[in-house]
Amino acid sequence: MMKNKLVILSVFVSLIIASAAGATTLRIWAMGEEAKSLHIIAEKFTEENPGVTIDVQAIPWSGAYDKLLTGIAAGQLPDIAQMGTTWMAPFAAMGAFQELSDFIANSDIVDPQNFFEGSWQTAITEEGTVGIPWYVDVRVMYYRTDLLSEVGYDHPPQTWEDLYDAGKKLTARGPQQSGISLLFTGTFANEFMPFAWQNGARIIDDEGNVAVKTPEFVEAIEYYSRFFWDEIALKAGGELIHDFGSGAVPIFFSGPWMISMIRNQVPQIDGKWDVALLPGKKSQTSFVGGSNWVLFKQSRNKETAWDFIEFMSRPDIQLQWYNIVASLPAVVETWGYPELAEDQMLSVFGEQLLDARATPNIPQWGQIEQAISRRVEEALFQRKTPEQAAEDLHNDIVKILGKRR
Amino acid sequence: MVTKKSVIRETSVYAVLIFGAVVMVVPFFWMVSTSFKLPREIFVFPPKWIPSEPTLKNYIELFRSLDFARPFINTVVVAGSITVLSVLFSSMAGFAFAKFRFKGRDALFMLVLATIMVPGQMTIIPVFLMLRHLGLINTYAGLIIPAMVSAFNVFFMRQFIITIPDDLLEAAKMDGAREGFLYFKIILPLCRPALSTIAIFTFTGSWNSFLWPLIIAQDERMYTLPVAISVLAGQYGENIAIQMAGSCIVIAPILIFFIFAQRYFIKGIALTGMKF
Amino acid sequence: MRTRLVWILLFLGPALAALLIFLVIPIFASFVLSVTDFDVYALADWSRARFVGLSNFQELLSDPLFWRSLLNTLYCLIVAMPLTVAISLGVAMLINREKTRFKGLFRVIYFLPFVTNTVAIAVVWSWILNMHYGLLNWFLGLFGISGPNWLGDPTFAMSSIIMLVVWKAIGYNMILFISGLQNIPDFLYEAAELDGASGWQKFVHITIPMLRPTMLFVTTMMLIGYLQLFEEPYMLTDGGPLNSTLSVVLYLYRQGFRFFELGYASALAVALFLIIITITLIRMRLSKQVS
Repeated sequence: MMKNKLVILSVFVSLIIASAAGATTLRIWAMGEEAKSLHIIAEKFTEENPGVTIDVQAIPWSGAYDKLLTGIAAGQLPDIAQMGTTWMAPFAAMGAFQELSDFIANSDIVDPQNFFEGSWQTAITEEGTVGIPWYVDVRVMYYRTDLLSEVGYDHPPQTWEDLYDAGKKLTARGPQQSGISLLFTGTFANEFMPFAWQNGARIIDDEGNVAVKTPEFVEAIEYYSRFFWDEIALKAGGELIHDFGSGAVPIFFSGPWMISMIRNQVPQIDGKWDVALLPGKKSQTSFVGGSNWVLFKQSRNKETAWDFIEFMSRPDIQLQWYNIVASLPAVVETWGYPELAEDQMLSVFGEQLLDARATPNIPQWGQIEQAISRRVEEALFQRKTPEQAAEDLHNDIVKILGKRR
Repeated sequence: MVTKKSVIRETSVYAVLIFGAVVMVVPFFWMVSTSFKLPREIFVFPPKWIPSEPTLKNYIELFRSLDFARPFINTVVVAGSITVLSVLFSSMAGFAFAKFRFKGRDALFMLVLATIMVPGQMTIIPVFLMLRHLGLINTYAGLIIPAMVSAFNVFFMRQFIITIPDDLLEAAKMDGAREGFLYFKIILPLCRPALSTIAIFTFTGSWNSFLWPLIIAQDERMYTLPVAISVLAGQYGENIAIQMAGSCIVIAPILIFFIFAQRYFIKGIALTGMKF
Repeated sequence: MRTRLVWILLFLGPALAALLIFLVIPIFASFVLSVTDFDVYALADWSRARFVGLSNFQELLSDPLFWRSLLNTLYCLIVAMPLTVAISLGVAMLINREKTRFKGLFRVIYFLPFVTNTVAIAVVWSWILNMHYGLLNWFLGLFGISGPNWLGDPTFAMSSIIMLVVWKAIGYNMILFISGLQNIPDFLYEAAELDGASGWQKFVHITIPMLRPTMLFVTTMMLIGYLQLFEEPYMLTDGGPLNSTLSVVLYLYRQGFRFFELGYASALAVALFLIIITITLIRMRLSKQVS
């Protein structure tokens, strides 16, 4: 009797939930390429969860930071959003995100052990665990095998010396030919920092002190700048994919999304290019980023939103998502599927993920990132020596961190 | 009497004028031409002035996958509303400042005049905070209301209406007409040139306005065309031809509008210059 | 006879209310904000903004990026203003000549850039200015000149911005000059010709003095407009490289709406306001002295 009542009650409850859910619209903000394809996977979710409708809004990366900031400020937010890993800390510090420990503790799907260690760290801020990794993005080296073998490299350059030497020889091919494409203006700390890490340098050391005046950091600035001083890298914005296709830019560093862009836009070089681990010095460390899911505190549909996050963390869904946009799964188990395990280019990304760092998870990272870019820019334009640039950067960062409250 | 000297002079005058005209027009031509190109013709050297296989692909992509129709409609709604409201309110205020008699009128008008000098940046932050407080960020109201009255338009209308002879209004008043009647039956019909001038400039100005929509329209669905094109241009790996197609969509309506209404534009500018 | 209050309120009310709310009050609010540390945390909760006296202004004075942006903006003004005046006056005089044909057509063509959306045409310009694939460097190449890296080289980036700014401004000022020229009575020139004056003498002694009111208007509008330079650098360079194209308003936008340092940005706005007023007043004083 008791049992029957319970059954009836639970049916009743689930009916109420279902009918309540019937009115549930899950609002999601997503960025860039992901946003364009998210609806495909969202449909699968709505098939499994009838009564939920999903409203995905695409936000271009260029305007996303501003938009999130104002969205948080103006209290105009969706239920969940894709969040760039480097943005977790500043937005968490504004108290916008729901702390997820309780959800995780009760979940059968989301478990820290299931994710890449480095990736999981990006979701942890001073406010606790405020995100769940969705996909990871790690930078590797893209290079033209044919052009490199023309200058005597039948293997990808794997040390700083090799990279510089190859770049120099590639530049000597003739006018309008460069050796490598590196960013030189705007905000490019994510591009620069791997060089510092490869040399064992840090922004903030283990004691919490600013550590950019170390010889290792200075040397990284100098190494990066030398590509510009010697005109191996051009201080000009071109059309990267087109230039890679024409051979004007035979080497560049980028994330996994570039594979399909190159295949689609310059099919004429199929078979003439490959990817490799970043060249290194003390290590071959790369930048790991990607995106996490965050749940906003003010959401009225937290349970449904969490269901969606769990759904996206399932290895089978992660694989499907990989098949749609080719972004790298954050869930380790997914890498066991043959689609990933047997792809040669992809295995390079898998290998690089083992030696990759994220930038510090502190709220002022945005300002620090600008300061790094500004000072490295001054060095590569030869307005300052690398030592002076590092000195100024040190003062900038101390000032930025001093403003904290 | 055609001398050799005058032939040289005439030739060089036209050479200069035509060279300048080409400089003025080339960017537009290049934009239109590139917007119809296939990717392989974009990087061709020497440049291809006319695409050999014109394609609508870029425009289709723009409207289909990038949904440019939405910012287009937003811009029409916002610029249209601002124009209607601005013309209405500034002609009413201009009428009052020109013809009403009350204490403090001129002092009040001087105050309005003084605000013309204030640069827009001065007010943007407080107005942003105010609208945020009222929940008007990301709304049509937020885009329209702060721009609906311009001190310059009030000033311009007042200067125009003041030239309308008082006798006309007095005569109507003798017959028992009220201010509302005067406004609709006498002022508005007589002010048509001034009204069309401010309408044209207000519409063009709000169509092209950028900083304010950039701050207020955070939601893609509220983007106006200038914001949409700035975002498109910042997007990584976005095709040049599509950017050019987007620019065409932003520029073409005003350009066509201008070509039809050019006389009003040109007269209007000469007029605004004179009124100072 | 006085107008009844009800009509005054009805006709003036909407315009004055809007001006009060969106112009007058915000001006005072800007001053108030500029002495607070209103930032992103205060945005979430207004009570977290604190009064900080003049420290924003002190910081501003020791902020190299502020000075950089101010110098960049003044540089743009100093180069672009005479250029715009010279070109638009020159074009106006050529078009306004009695003998010139197709006046209307030329006028329309030169005017086109002015009505064009800056943001959209800047996208086109950045493509034209592209170092390798741009039209401009192709054109220079025809004369054997290898064109510079327009947008990527700090010595040329500001020139590129100025190019776009001037290109856009010519039409508007040309129209004003044409109407100014048309207001100069013919007999002045005829009398001068009788005295045997050369073309240059007529220009210096008749055209320039007679254009003074137009010139005052044109240059005042330009001062105010160029000091608010924003859209061109925002689109073409985002202030780079090496902050060589960072304008005051772009810096204000960055501080205010990228970092949400609204207190500091308000101080920037107040500073810009004072600079504009000062320069405009100097301009007006100068023109009074001349006449």
